[in-house]
Amino acid sequence: MNCRAATQRLVQFFSVLSFVFLTTMPCLAERDSEQVSFADDVLPLLSDKCFVCHGPDTQDDDMLRLDSFDAATEDRGGYKAVEPGDAGASELIERILSEDNPMPPEDAEKQLTESEKKLLVAWIEQGGKYEQHWAFVAPAKVSPPDSTQVAESDIDRFVAAKLAQDGVSFAEEADRATLARRASLVLTGLPPDLDALEQFLDDKSDNAYEKFVDRLLADLRFGEHQARYWLDAVRYGDTHGLHLDNRRGIYPYRDWVVSAINSNLPLNDFISWQLAGDLLPDPRLSQLVATGFVRMNPTTSEGGAIAKEFQAKNNFDRVENLGTVLLGMTLTCARCHTHKYDPIPQSEYYQLMAFFNSTAERSMDGGKYAYEPTIAAPKDQPAWEAWDLLEAKRAEIVQSADEELLRSDDLSNMTPELVAEWKSSTTEKRFELLVGEPVDLAVPKKTTKKKSKKGAKKKSKKTAKKAEPASKAKIGSKAEDTAKAKKDRPNPFAKLAVHADARMLLKKIREARAEFTTTLIAKDIAKPRPTFVLDRGEYDQEKGDPLTPGVITVLGDLEEDAPRNRLGLAAWLTSKKHPLVRRVLVNRIWQRVFGQGIVRTPEDFGLQGERPTHPDLLDWLAVELGDSGWDLKHMLRLMVTSRTFRQSSTWRADVDDPENRLWARGPGYRLDAEVIRDIGLWASRLLDSHRGGEGVKPYQPAGMWKAMAHPRSNTKEYKRDSGERLYRRSLYVYWKRTSPHPMMTLFDAPDRESGCVRRSRTSTALQSLGLFNETQRIEMGRKLAERVLDEQSGDDERIGLMFQLLASRDPAESELAACQSLLRTMRQRYRDDVESAEKLLSIGEAKNAVQVSTDEHAAWTQVAITVLASDIALLLF
Amino acid sequence: MNDPLRENDLMMTRRQLFGRGVLGLGTSALAGLFGGNDAIAATTSPIATTSSGHMDGLHHRAKAKHVIYLFMSGGPSHHDMWDYKPELSKKFGEQLPDHVRDGQRVTGMTSNQKSGLPICPSKYKFTKHENNDRGVWVSELLPHTAKVVKELCVVHSTFTEAINHDPAITYIQTGSQVPGRPSLGAWLSYGLGSLNKNLPHYVVMHAKTSFPEQSLFNRLWGTGFLPSDHQGLLMRSQGDPILYLSNPDGVTGSDRRAQLDALAAINQQQYERFADPEIVARIRQHEMAYRMQTSVPELMDFSNESDATFELYGDQTQQPGSFAACCLNARRLVERGVRNIQIFHRGWDAHSSLPKEHESQCRDIDQACAALILDLKQRGMLDDTLVVWGGEFGRTVYCQGRLTNANYGRDHHPRCFTVWMAGGGVKPGITYGQTDKYGYNIVDSDGNVLNPQPTKDEWTPGTMHIHDLNATILHLMGIDHKRLTYRYQGRDFRLTDVHGHVIRDLIA
Repeated sequence: MNCRAATQRLVQFFSVLSFVFLTTMPCLAERDSEQVSFADDVLPLLSDKCFVCHGPDTQDDDMLRLDSFDAATEDRGGYKAVEPGDAGASELIERILSEDNPMPPEDAEKQLTESEKKLLVAWIEQGGKYEQHWAFVAPAKVSPPDSTQVAESDIDRFVAAKLAQDGVSFAEEADRATLARRASLVLTGLPPDLDALEQFLDDKSDNAYEKFVDRLLADLRFGEHQARYWLDAVRYGDTHGLHLDNRRGIYPYRDWVVSAINSNLPLNDFISWQLAGDLLPDPRLSQLVATGFVRMNPTTSEGGAIAKEFQAKNNFDRVENLGTVLLGMTLTCARCHTHKYDPIPQSEYYQLMAFFNSTAERSMDGGKYAYEPTIAAPKDQPAWEAWDLLEAKRAEIVQSADEELLRSDDLSNMTPELVAEWKSSTTEKRFELLVGEPVDLAVPKKTTKKKSKKGAKKKSKKTAKKAEPASKAKIGSKAEDTAKAKKDRPNPFAKLAVHADARMLLKKIREARAEFTTTLIAKDIAKPRPTFVLDRGEYDQEKGDPLTPGVITVLGDLEEDAPRNRLGLAAWLTSKKHPLVRRVLVNRIWQRVFGQGIVRTPEDFGLQGERPTHPDLLDWLAVELGDSGWDLKHMLRLMVTSRTFRQSSTWRADVDDPENRLWARGPGYRLDAEVIRDIGLWASRLLDSHRGGEGVKPYQPAGMWKAMAHPRSNTKEYKRDSGERLYRRSLYVYWKRTSPHPMMTLFDAPDRESGCVRRSRTSTALQSLGLFNETQRIEMGRKLAERVLDEQSGDDERIGLMFQLLASRDPAESELAACQSLLRTMRQRYRDDVESAEKLLSIGEAKNAVQVSTDEHAAWTQVAITVLASDIALLLF
Repeated sequence: MNDPLRENDLMMTRRQLFGRGVLGLGTSALAGLFGGNDAIAATTSPIATTSSGHMDGLHHRAKAKHVIYLFMSGGPSHHDMWDYKPELSKKFGEQLPDHVRDGQRVTGMTSNQKSGLPICPSKYKFTKHENNDRGVWVSELLPHTAKVVKELCVVHSTFTEAINHDPAITYIQTGSQVPGRPSLGAWLSYGLGSLNKNLPHYVVMHAKTSFPEQSLFNRLWGTGFLPSDHQGLLMRSQGDPILYLSNPDGVTGSDRRAQLDALAAINQQQYERFADPEIVARIRQHEMAYRMQTSVPELMDFSNESDATFELYGDQTQQPGSFAACCLNARRLVERGVRNIQIFHRGWDAHSSLPKEHESQCRDIDQACAALILDLKQRGMLDDTLVVWGGEFGRTVYCQGRLTNANYGRDHHPRCFTVWMAGGGVKPGITYGQTDKYGYNIVDSDGNVLNPQPTKDEWTPGTMHIHDLNATILHLMGIDHKRLTYRYQGRDFRLTDVHGHVIRDLIA
C-alpha cells in the first residue's frame, strides 16, 4: 500500500470535484464540515454496494469484511482498509478512487457515485466510527421537541419540528364532516352513519371529536376492519393453498382475531397467544384457537410429494412469515446462506426454525378440512362471546369448588388419588371431575365415520354453510349408556355446594358446544424433532449437530430462564428490550391511518430498507406502545386525534412533497377492495351485520374456479350463496388462495399465499369495468336508488342524500348538475325502453321495494351506480 | 390493414382527451399525465399506457418484441413425442439399471411400486425430419409440428429440480418453488411496458382439454411483490373474455357514455378539491375501459379471418377456448401490439393412461402449434415473435402402474425434458443437447452421462436449466436477466434468482 499515492489521488479527486460540488451540489459540499452519520449514511451505502462481497456472508476467511469496526481496521499486513481519521492512509479510499484497480470492480452491478466516494472519505476523516444499524438498537423514549407551531400532541411536535426545518406549517384543518368521514373510514372501514355524523356536527363541546373517536373505537365494526390488516400479514385463507387447494377449516381463528381486537387484547398477548397459546398453563379455548397462526402456512398433499421436503418447506414459510410480520425483515436469504446484508447467520435461521419443527401436524394436509390437530370452537363472533362468558363462569365455579375443598373437613369420601388428581388438573378437567362426567360425550369411532361420510354426501347438495363437517358432539345411544353408567356411580364432588350450579352450567356448555365447528391449532409432539442446518436450504442436506431452538441474536438474546419453546420465543418478541417488534407494529398502525408508514418499507427494517421519515417519532410511538400496555386503541386514538391527522388532505402548492414524507397534508388514498365493497353495501342498506362465520360466497362470474382447479379439488365449484350471506362484510368473503374473489384482486388484495404487509394501490381500466358491470355493483346501485327514493323527495334532495352518505357532504353545483343531467338522459331512455329498465332492475337477488315506476327506478339506479363508482366513494380524503 | 384499434389510438390524442369539455384539468395534472412522473407511472394501468417500462431502455438490442408461450401443464412425455430412444424397444419391462437412476429421488407415487421401475419404450413410431442441422426425430403424435421443424430449435436437455407439479410449475414460471415471486410475464411487463394502449400487455389464456388434470394458480401469472398492475390478464373462454367487460342487461354503450361523463364531472370536482394527480389517472382509466369495450370484442371476433386461416389452424378453431382458437387469438394479439401471451394447456400428467391421454392432448395442440408458426411466418411476424413450447418437467422412462404394449403410464421426471422455441431470434431448425439411451440423464456431446449432474449453479454446455431458459427468453426480449431487478425486503430480486445463463448457442 502506497500512502502517498492514495493521498495524491485524494488531492486530485477533490480538486476535480470541488468545482462540481461547489456549484451544483451545495448540500454535498457542506458535508465536509457536517458530521457524517455512520448509521444514517455510511452503513446503508456499505450494505448496498460493498457487503455483497465484504459483508457478513463472506466465505473466504482472508476476505476483507467491512461490517464491523474491528474487521475494517484490522492490520492486513502493513495497511488497513480503514485508518480512522486518515483517509489518505486507508486502503478502502485508495481502492475506491483507483482507476487501475477500482472497487467496486468495474464489472460490478453497483458502482459508487462521486458523492458517495466523498462521503466515505469524510466518514474516515471524521474517525471512521461504526454504529449499530438503527433498527437493531432498542428504541428509547425521546422527548418531543419544542415547537413554535400549533402542535397539540406529542406526535404533532415531532412532525412540526421537521416541518419547521422546511419552513412550512401544518395545513389547515379538514372541515369537521370530512374529518368525521376520514376517522370513521380509518377506524371502522365505513363512513359515519348519518345520525352519528349529525350528532357529532351538533356537538359543540371542546372534546366532541374525541368523543366521536371513542364511539368509533367501541363500535364492533372497528375490529372487523382492523383485523383485515392482520389477516393479510399472516396470510389467512380458507383453503390449503397448494395443489388441490382444498378447503381448510380455520375461520374460528379469523373470528377470534376480530374479537381480540374489539376487546382490545394487549398486542403482546395477541402475539403470544398466537405463537404459543397451547403452551400457556391451563389455556383457555381462545388461546388455543389463536395458535391457528402457526398453522397458516400453505400446505399440499400432492401425490408423490416427499414428506420430509414439505416438513422443511412448511417451516421455512413459518419462519419467513414471522420475519416479515413481527421483525419487519426478510430472513429468506439466511435459509441458504448467511444473510448478505443483515447480520443473520444461517445457523440462527435454523435455530429459529427449531421452535416450529416440533409441531404435531403431518407435513402433508391430506386435503382435509380438519387437518389435525384441530379443536372444536365457536362458529362465529356472537358464539365466541357467549362461550367466553361460559368459560368465565366455569372458572368461577371451579374456583369456588377449590376453596370449598380446602375449607371442608369432611373429605372422607375423597381418596388421596382423587385429591391429587384434582390438584393437578386443568380447569377444564376439574370441571369434569366436579360434574362427574366428561363434557363431550365420546361417540364410538366407527359410527362417527360412517355418519359423517353419509352426512357429507347428503349435505353436499345443500348450501355450503351446512355442508361443514362440524364436530358436533352427537350423542349416540351407546355413548348415552356410558354416561348413564358413570352417573350412577356416586360422585364424591356432589356434596359441594357449587355442584348444582356446575350441573346447570354443564347443560349450557353442551348446548354451546353442539354448535361448534373445528379449527386448526398448534400442538407440540412430546419428543422434539431434531433440527439441523440445511445446506443451501435443501431439505435432505442436513449439516452438523442438532440445533437448540434459538433467536436472531443481533436483536437480543433469549432470557436465560426462558423455555426453549414457542413460549420462550413469544417472550423474546414481546420483551421491551426487543428493538424491532414494537417499531414494526406501530409503523403498520401508522400506515393504516396515514396511508404510508413512517418507514416506507414496512416489510424491511434491515440495512437495505428505507430509513424512517421521522426516526424519533417512530421510536416515541414504539415506546409508547409498550408503556401503554400494548394498547392498540390507545395508539390509534393518539394518531387520529393528532393535528397531523386532522389536516386537510388537499395537495399544497407551497409544499413539494408528492409522497407526503413531511406529513404536511392529511391522508388521501384509494380505499382497499374490501372497504370499497362494504361502502356500497352499507349505503344501499344491504350490508348484513352478522359477525363472522364460515366464509361467504357473493356473486362471481361462472367457471372461474373450475377453469383452474384440479378435478379432484373440493373447491373447483363455486356455489354462490344467497340471501343475507351475499351482503356480509368483505372481511368474511371466502378466500380461496389460488383464486381469490376477482373484485378483491382487481383492487389489489393479495392472494394470501404469502404474507402481505403493504398492498399496492393501482388504478386500472379493469377496475372501471368491475365498478360498472359487476352484478353486486348493479345491485348496490339499484338498492341505493331505492333508498334515496324512499328517504327523500325531490331530485336534488335525493342526489344530495347520496353525497351525504358517501362523501359526508352536499354535492357541489357541478356535481349536482352532472347527476341531474344523467338522470334526465336516463329517464328519457328508460321511458322509451321499459324492457331495458326491467332487465336492469332484475340484476341481483335483492327484491325491489319501491313505489315509483320501473323507468324512474332504472334511471335512479344508473345515477347511483355512477356515484358509487366515482372517487367520492373510492377515496379516503 | 384497417385496424380500428390503431385508429382509435391515433384519435385519442391528448387534445381530444381534454377537449371533451368535462375535463378542464390544471397544468400540474397535465404534467403528471404525460410527463415522466414516476409517482403517476407507477400507478397506471396494464391496459392504458404505452410505457417504456421500468428499465432505462433495453439492456441490449432485442431480437424479439413478443413472446407466445405455449405451456403444457402437467409434464408432457418427451419419450413419446420428441426424444427418440430406439434401443429401448428391446428392453421392454426390464428394470431400470440402478446406475442410470444414480440416487435420483423418485416421487412417492413410484418409489414403492411393486413392479419396481420397469422400462417402458414408447409405443409411437418416430420419423426423422430434415431440419437445418442433423435432422430431428418426431413421433407420429405430432404430424403437423413435424412439418415445421425447420423453424424449431428443439432442446432435449432442459432440466429442473422440482419433482411435483405445484412446486415445479411455480418454479418455471416464477423462478422459485415457493409461491410469492413475480411471474415471467410480470417481469416482462414490469421491464418493458406495453406497445398498445387499448389492450393489456400481458394476456393469459386457458385452453380447453379433455383431461383438465392439474391445477393452475393465479400466481403463475401473478405479480408477487411487483406492483399488481403487472399481473397477467386472464382472457376467458367462458362469459366475458375479460372480466366484467360487457355492460349489464339493459345498459347500452351510449348509456355508459352518459354515465362516464357524469362520473368525470364528479371526479373532476374531487380533483379540484384535492389536486391529487391519482384522480386524473383514474379518470383516464375509465376512458380506457370504455374503449376496451369496443377493442376486445373486435379482437375476439374472428369473422374477418380467411377460410385459409381456419383451414390452417384446424377444425377446432371455431370453438371458443380451444387450443387452436387460443393460438389464433395469440396471433391477433401480437398483431395488435401485445407483448406477452401465455396459453396454458392442462392434461399432460399421464400417470396411468398415457396413450389415450397424450393422443387426445396432441390432437388438441399439434395442428395449431404448426399453424401458429406458419401463420406468423407468412405474415412476417415470426422474426420478432418468440414462440416457446414446453411443460414443467418430463416423464419417466419407467412405467407407473401396469405396463402393457397398449397402455402404460409415466411418473414425473426432472432430469431432462424437451422444450422447443421458434422465431424471435432463435436459431431455426436445430436441436440442442442430448440424453442417454434411456432418456433419463443428460449426456455430453460424446454421449457420456454428465458427471457430476448439471446444476443450476454453474451452466454446463449442452444443458438448459429452467433458469437458463428464462434467462434466454429475457435476453431475446432485450433484457439482461441479472439487471432486471426489484427491491423487496431489502433484496434485489430477479426472475432467475442468483442463477441463469443465457444460452448463446441457441441464438441466431
